[in-house]
Amino acid sequence: MVDYRRQEHHEFLQAAAQAMADEPLQSALTRLGDTLGPRNRAAYAALAESDELRERARAIKNATLLELDRHLQDLQASVERHGGNVHFASDGEDACRIIGEILDAAGARRVVKSKSMTTEEIHLNRYLEERDFDVTETDFGEFIIQVAGQRPSHLVAPAVHLRVDEVARILESDAGHPLPSEPQQLAAFARRRLRDRFAAADAGITGANFGIAETGSIVLVSNEGNARLTVSLPRVHIAVMGMEKVIPRWEHLPVFLKVLARAATGQKMSVYTSIVNGPRREGELDGAEAFHLVILDNGRSRILGGPLRESLFCIRCGACLNACPIYRNVGGHAYGGVYAGPIGAVLTPLYDGLKANHHLPHASSLCGACQAACPVKIAIPELLVRLREQLETNKSQSWIERTAYSTWARMMRSAGLYRLATWLATRTLGRLYRRSRWISRLPGLSGWTGARDFPAPAPERFRDWWRREGNA
Amino acid sequence: MKREAFFDRVRNAVRSAQRYRVNVQQFADRPPRSVQGGDLAARLAQEITAVGGTAHVAEDLDDARRYARGLFAENNVQRALCWQHSALEELRIDELLDEADVTAIDHATLAGLPREAQRREMLAADLGITGVDFAVAETGSLLLAAAAGRERVASLVPPVHLAIVRCQQIVADLFDAFERFDPRALPSNLTFITGPSKTGDIELQLTTGVHGPGAWHVLVVP
Ligand code: SF4
Repeated sequence: MVDYRRQEHHEFLQAAAQAMADEPLQSALTRLGDTLGPRNRAAYAALAESDELRERARAIKNATLLELDRHLQDLQASVERHGGNVHFASDGEDACRIIGEILDAAGARRVVKSKSMTTEEIHLNRYLEERDFDVTETDFGEFIIQVAGQRPSHLVAPAVHLRVDEVARILESDAGHPLPSEPQQLAAFARRRLRDRFAAADAGITGANFGIAETGSIVLVSNEGNARLTVSLPRVHIAVMGMEKVIPRWEHLPVFLKVLARAATGQKMSVYTSIVNGPRREGELDGAEAFHLVILDNGRSRILGGPLRESLFCIRCGACLNACPIYRNVGGHAYGGVYAGPIGAVLTPLYDGLKANHHLPHASSLCGACQAACPVKIAIPELLVRLREQLETNKSQSWIERTAYSTWARMMRSAGLYRLATWLATRTLGRLYRRSRWISRLPGLSGWTGARDFPAPAPERFRDWWRREGNA
Repeated sequence: MKREAFFDRVRNAVRSAQRYRVNVQQFADRPPRSVQGGDLAARLAQEITAVGGTAHVAEDLDDARRYARGLFAENNVQRALCWQHSALEELRIDELLDEADVTAIDHATLAGLPREAQRREMLAADLGITGVDFAVAETGSLLLAAAAGRERVASLVPPVHLAIVRCQQIVADLFDAFERFDPRALPSNLTFITGPSKTGDIELQLTTGVHGPGAWHVLVVP
């Protein structure tokens, strides 16, 4: 059996069922929805201009993607002006190879990493470990996940599915001695443990929340400070950035910073926002001596040229996960891919194939909570509907469904036929299901009733009711 | 060659993206400010407290020195990493450290050491004392720019960070802080700090000091 916590998979239904029977997971998800969800709404409400700022952030992403080639060129030139190196990777394999080569050339064996979904996406850790590099995740949640051999289950809170006593047992396996089930003491243990790794590390690998074309800056946002340690202590810094993360100008950054943390956790600013402009300069005693930026395509150009382009606006804040009634029931591992929640339901089919992930576009009630929470107002429900549409056009329907749809269409176009059909429906199915009002089986159309009941027509038409009661 | 192929793909994608009728919303030049004026020092102190830091707005230099002295004693400080910065000199931090028997480690001390010893000194400090470049009243953030003598580790590695802010360094809004920099001449590293190091990675319970300083003191001087 597949261990969904450890392996990527395409079994949404089974994984979701398992997650919904998992008591500790359910209480963790309830806690998540009850804290981070309301904080997002309160933070937007407390900032009078939050709506305009979100529209501005959205407009910047929108305009940037329409000239992405130019902005990437500018970014490269600016980074090189600071004495940094820029590499372009077409896919994950390419990116891993480039990073391996940089490390080899620098004679670096010990690597510290700060949380990065992009490096999860390209499975960098596996690649490096297979080649005998010593890789340590330094974000507290990621460190726990790495020791446990699991996958992150949330964009910004990777270990949110674990209870404190589970975390203590996991970290004990690294410590070699018992640890108390108390967060502050476990954090203190991680601090000591990870400090040793930082002190010994040759290279630091980070993602990038933003890259600024005008200035050649790489922006890293974190609450713990591990991203800062990762770029301050080791002598080599490699940043891995999805190509859609570029923004054109310096003045654009505060627009995003004002909405990013508010969306994610309700903070006005995350604790640390680092703006890295190439390697350390003459006379400076900390900061990496060599800086490399790896810019990744990995399917993004395909999305950029298509109707789901808007999914590239995502700044990976996690707000849509916290808001989503589906995510809050099934958790992150059920989605199967690297990205979970509503945006994961869009991205995973795009990156990993729609057919293999055909459940994901349906893993949404289309309630719109994700869009309302999103700092760049991505129309996630609309994107999911488009994916559903693509699924339908790709698959052949049964003849019953085909006939039903064309009959439906004819009926809707003619008032007389519509009246006749509704009269018939109330007399037959409506009367038959007068008590339960739900149909649990439709012969030949099991897809409509396999996982839910189909609402029966009312026993009386609205027009008849109106004629009788409305004029009384 | 590889770069060419990469850009060919992006260019093609951009071309087909442009064929969709996309409506990019246009805006007036200046984004709206969240904070405009008022008592900026008081607002800064309030925001710093809200994010779990400790703020002290000093009446004068003597008051500020008293605060620093108290901090050294309370935390039983042995070794302090110090910036070379006029705000520290004005407070005569050297003297205060000396009085309290604290070893001051600054750029001059570090620069003379071999790399390994340098690293060891940085990691052994139990207090970091820095100035700032700007402070943002809106968010309670401090902005620190790296330079020789202004080590990044000072605000990051020790368990306690003391930052000294001059009143006139406080700007109202985050946008104002960005406007103060020339985008063509940025330092190697700029960091906004808004609170003590935090994590919610276990059951979303707030835990401080997991990597950076768990105690964050901001001393505002006239
Ligand atoms: S889609 Fe929006 S809300 Fe969801 S992670 Fe991305 S930016 Fe955040």
